[in-house]
Amino acid sequence: MTEAPTIAATVPVSNLAVRSVIFDPSSLQLNAAAIAPEGAVLVALLLSLLVDLAGEQVAARWVPPICYGGLGSALLLLALQWNSPAEPAFVGAFLADNLAIAFRSVVAASTLVSLMLSWRYVERSGTPIGEYAGILLAATLGAMLLCGSTDLVSIFVSLETLSVSSYLLSGYMKRDARSSEAALKYLLVGSAAAAVFLYGASLLYGLTGGATGLDAVALALQSSTTPVAALSLVFVLATVAFKIAAVPFHQWTPDVYEGSPTPVVAFLSVGSKAAGFALALRILVGCFESFSVQWKLLFTVLAVLSMVLGNVVALAQTSMKRMLAYSSIGQAGFVMIGLVCGTEEGYAAMVLYMAAYLFMNLGAFACIILFSLRTGSDRISDYAGLYQKDPLITLGLSLCLLSLGGIPPMLGFFGKIYLFFAGWADHQYLLVVVGLVTSVVSIYYYISVIKMMVVKEPQDASDVVKAYPELSWNLRGMPALRAALVTCVIVTAVGGILSNPLFGWAGEAVTGTPMLLQAIAAATAHASLG
Amino acid sequence: MTIASTTQLICFAALSITLVVGAFGVVLLPNIVYSAFLLAGVFLSVSGLYLLLNASFVAAAQILVYVGAVNVLILFAIMLVNKREDLSAIPGLALRRVLSAAVCGGLFLLLVRVAFTTPWALPGPASIGEEATARIGEHLFSDYLLPFELASVLLLMAMIGAIVLARRDVYTSDVITGEPADQGLIEKARTPLLTSKP
Repeated sequence: MTEAPTIAATVPVSNLAVRSVIFDPSSLQLNAAAIAPEGAVLVALLLSLLVDLAGEQVAARWVPPICYGGLGSALLLLALQWNSPAEPAFVGAFLADNLAIAFRSVVAASTLVSLMLSWRYVERSGTPIGEYAGILLAATLGAMLLCGSTDLVSIFVSLETLSVSSYLLSGYMKRDARSSEAALKYLLVGSAAAAVFLYGASLLYGLTGGATGLDAVALALQSSTTPVAALSLVFVLATVAFKIAAVPFHQWTPDVYEGSPTPVVAFLSVGSKAAGFALALRILVGCFESFSVQWKLLFTVLAVLSMVLGNVVALAQTSMKRMLAYSSIGQAGFVMIGLVCGTEEGYAAMVLYMAAYLFMNLGAFACIILFSLRTGSDRISDYAGLYQKDPLITLGLSLCLLSLGGIPPMLGFFGKIYLFFAGWADHQYLLVVVGLVTSVVSIYYYISVIKMMVVKEPQDASDVVKAYPELSWNLRGMPALRAALVTCVIVTAVGGILSNPLFGWAGEAVTGTPMLLQAIAAATAHASLG
Repeated sequence: MTIASTTQLICFAALSITLVVGAFGVVLLPNIVYSAFLLAGVFLSVSGLYLLLNASFVAAAQILVYVGAVNVLILFAIMLVNKREDLSAIPGLALRRVLSAAVCGGLFLLLVRVAFTTPWALPGPASIGEEATARIGEHLFSDYLLPFELASVLLLMAMIGAIVLARRDVYTSDVITGEPADQGLIEKARTPLLTSKP
């Protein structure tokens, strides 16, 4: 850990000569306790790397418990931070408000589950496990800090930490040409996106006249409607859209998802995306308030395109990973409805849907990882007749896919209905109608996978299923996979009925975030005036 | 016009011309080695511009990092690969070139227009010259402490990742079962990849 979390050191005022436009005495506190959860992740990262020095056998034995400890204590520390007054930490570089805590929890939980799915996969492929966990934890660290960063420099550095680790992870199966191809494509497109963000950020820095804090940026943008501000909006928005894989910035997604190791795809589709949405909220809602009409229009276009293209192209896929890649593009489109609304319900629905998406998507990935470990295939046609041989995968995958499609009474249904309800209440009729129609399309391709698994007669089963191996859970790493799978499936299936506390937490995530409350108040004041 | 400002103007013009011509050369020249050397020239002229703006630390960092490390690495990579093969002709190359030139030109016009229509607050804050290093150090340990510390994690991870991807002592067996492994995806490809086609 880099800092003792409890120390709140005071920084001499003279050191802060230029930067901060708004001089708030409370912002001079270091408040290092705000990043205590990230500290726990960092400790786990360093311990995994140290343990790895003792050899691959020792690493395979000790890295999993270290990661569980680090991520578990990070989640615990995040829970302790919930609803505490949000003090700016690190002299305005970080803010642990409820929104940040909610998204950081989603990121940490997605890493925890992805790691539980990873152990057997990584060991089976013969790649080093300590470095794998270390790189994934570094990606988590970047994503968690990205969720709470309130400073352009912090945002860029955490974005790069997340991105560089993601490139490395997607190329981790280095003897496989597909993995290398995925890493190269991701690297090239991601570096271009980072460069575009840096350009936009430098324009914003110029507008503020030498300050990088998001509050200073918001202040500068309020008083200026110059073309530079619009240009920087477009640049920043392109980067956000790249990170959440919104159409037309999605071209990297299918190839990267297909070529990356499947547990990494699970992390990219949930953790990385959650960080992208947190960044979108932080920058667009927090800074570009005076451009809200413009960015909401742009995001409406992005959301409609994502929902339509993601769900329609997913129909034609033959590979399970590619299908889930396109489905994740469509799912990001649904979440964007909440972002466009700009109401309290809209933001709460976003948070709720991200939490629901965590469980249902990771549950689906757990099933396809287990299937590929047993058969070495991820083609949809190879799932034919699976219910005879492996009822657990069949049941889990069916429930998670139904939930992703939004069938009641699964968790995904409640998340989706809340999003659509918020959109309808805010008169976003186009988005809601497109969302409903594309949901029906998505149900078609999710159900066709289920039909493939369940309806086929034993003699029609695929060759892979006919030669299905004996079910066994006694190899190291398999119990963790089973635990993750069962947990995700149970939460997906039962969480919908017991979702009342989830609704409450999602509401608190918005009411405990001063930035969002200000934006909502400004929007309602504007609406009542106009 | 004093001698000082004339000298400054001449330096600025010379550096800018070198920069623009060099940048065009990097993009347009067919020989990649020329492009790499011209890129070094571009970086050097950028650092010259920094010097004109009285930012000596940034200029030094620019030379050290970009010319000394990045560009040398690019040259090493080119010379290590050293592969001479005639690439197959891309269909519709002329049309692609016209299109990308149009896109770049449009972007350039947009940026120029934006730069000229924005009411910049000129002159900006006074340059602090020699004090810059001290000021950067103060920032790194006060308000930029978090990104500074995070950058160390980023560098550590980049280093470990590079070693993992580049090293040769591979574990070619499953550590638990001892079965042979190929360090590839568990999902095996059924259809040949684009890269493996003859």
